[in-house]
Amino acid sequence: MSSTTAQSGLARARRGLAPGGPGAGPSNNNPNRKSKLSAQASRTFFWLLLPSVVLLVLIHGYPLFQAGIQATHDGNLIQTGNFVGAENFAAVLSSPAFWKAAQFTLWFTIVGVFGSWLVGLGLALLLRTKIPAGGTFKVLLLLPWVVPIVVSSTAWNWLVATPDSLIPSLFRNLGLGTPLFLADPSLAAVTVMVFKVWVSFPFMMMMISAALASVDTTVYEAASMDGATRFQQFSQITLPLIARSTYISWILMTIFCVNDFPTIYLLTGGGPVDATTSLVVLAYRTVFQDFATGPGVAIAFLMTLTLVVVSVLLYRQIRKSSVE
Amino acid sequence: MSAVLHAHPESGPTLGVAETGKPRRVLSEAGHRGKWWRFTAILAITAIVLVPILVTVVLALTPAPNSTATGLTFENITNVFSKTLAGTWLQNSLITTLSTVAVSVAVAAPAGYVLSRGRSKAVSGYSLLLFVMQSLPIITSVVPLFILFAAMGLVDNLLGLTIIYVGSTMTVATWMMAAYFDSIPVSLEEASWIDGCSVFGSFTKVVLRNSLPGILSTAIFAFLLAWNDYLVAIVFLRSNEIFTLPMGVQSFFQQNNTDWSGVMALAVVMMLPPIIVFATLNKYFSVGGIGGSLAGR
Repeated sequence: MSSTTAQSGLARARRGLAPGGPGAGPSNNNPNRKSKLSAQASRTFFWLLLPSVVLLVLIHGYPLFQAGIQATHDGNLIQTGNFVGAENFAAVLSSPAFWKAAQFTLWFTIVGVFGSWLVGLGLALLLRTKIPAGGTFKVLLLLPWVVPIVVSSTAWNWLVATPDSLIPSLFRNLGLGTPLFLADPSLAAVTVMVFKVWVSFPFMMMMISAALASVDTTVYEAASMDGATRFQQFSQITLPLIARSTYISWILMTIFCVNDFPTIYLLTGGGPVDATTSLVVLAYRTVFQDFATGPGVAIAFLMTLTLVVVSVLLYRQIRKSSVE
Repeated sequence: MSAVLHAHPESGPTLGVAETGKPRRVLSEAGHRGKWWRFTAILAITAIVLVPILVTVVLALTPAPNSTATGLTFENITNVFSKTLAGTWLQNSLITTLSTVAVSVAVAAPAGYVLSRGRSKAVSGYSLLLFVMQSLPIITSVVPLFILFAAMGLVDNLLGLTIIYVGSTMTVATWMMAAYFDSIPVSLEEASWIDGCSVFGSFTKVVLRNSLPGILSTAIFAFLLAWNDYLVAIVFLRSNEIFTLPMGVQSFFQQNNTDWSGVMALAVVMMLPPIIVFATLNKYFSVGGIGGSLAGR
């Protein structure tokens, strides 16, 4: 896979296996100069890394530490309040609103990941063969991913929000009734998920196209000479060959979906009757509308925990894949 | 993160650049029919997918209900600039976004170089740390930062917004730069060391000078993240004249009666810069960068 060259080199470097580099040690033919460089390299590296470390501590480290304090106190946005231990977590975990939001987040993520993957896969396969204006289609199909969510959610709102919007009217004229896409709780949940798939499928399409582009086509010729059907070729050759990038794209999309705020908030605001309130939306509302900092941050923490596990899994997958 | 996957726009497959067409063995007739069938399918799908975007453009260019203009007109766009603070919002968005791009590349490039060339445990530990940080929900850090920034007068302030954007783009940007530097052979630097160049000198004069594609990919990533952000803006911005474009567009929805012509006109203004960047720098628009970019949105 041509696309893996940079990446496997990177992963190897991460594990300290890549050749060369100023700190590579005295294995080269000029040990003296190397070790002098090595000392100089360490100093230079320190200064090169410093701004990044400072920012990481300021924007990620400090807030995470403070969030830990807030999650265990009964404060608000103005004062820290008293230490309450795990009370906020207990309150959150025993509240029906949390579990409802967790459930919605789970469905939103499952549909978001697999829906966009299926659409992306279908389009990547269609665009794989030479068709007229294939390149143009490819660029046009990426637009949902490029256009800001604020803009696309505005357009979607215009299309579906009220009974007199374009799409409900269309349904009415076809004699299919007037669906209330954003007012009916379960239909609103579906609408938000469809919107998410619309926003995300180009990402999947890009990932799969890149993986497909590196597949050696002669494999298919050999397979079809051996009498493999189209479906067999797909399931026995194509799928295994794109398995790794598929796996990575699933985990990435899981992170995007769980963390997603604007896609949901801008379309429905979490409503109607909390039907589309995800964990992020719930955390946002708990902190900035109910001013309950402790529980809000506790919700964010519980999400964080899940995502740390997911991202460590992904990190290990990237490292592992480069060993092959 | 995923930047890792394709952060090398010249060797990795990027979109829009020549696709390796799959020469199909199937002969004549059937293959030809198949081709047109696929073309029609793609055409139909693309048309449906683009409806929301077309609707935005058409409504922006259609005269408002109370307007005397006929046909397509730029009236809505000129109106939105003269009647709302659209000009200020656009300026605010440009300032924060471009500062974010400049600073995050300036921070990520040197750090990425260390990640690419460094061999110590500390460096690989730092790399994992960046990786985990980027996947965390931004809402966790937003609350403490809000309290901190409120004390420092950085709430409702473009500088405060920029600092957070730089912080949140920095993690993925560093990975993207590291992935690009990995593709630059160390022998180039080694030659310059032999010529008596310092490590820092060889980084700026040899490595950076050969890294324009990597820098552009990273810059595009930072641009999109800052330009499209809504969550940080809604928490940190309070007053109308400090709004960035996403907040400006949303401010149209606060009245009972939405001025659709106005909001669509502003929406077109807001989606133009990303589309222009996408159209012109398409080659550097790496999959992973975008992938990572939207982790937080």
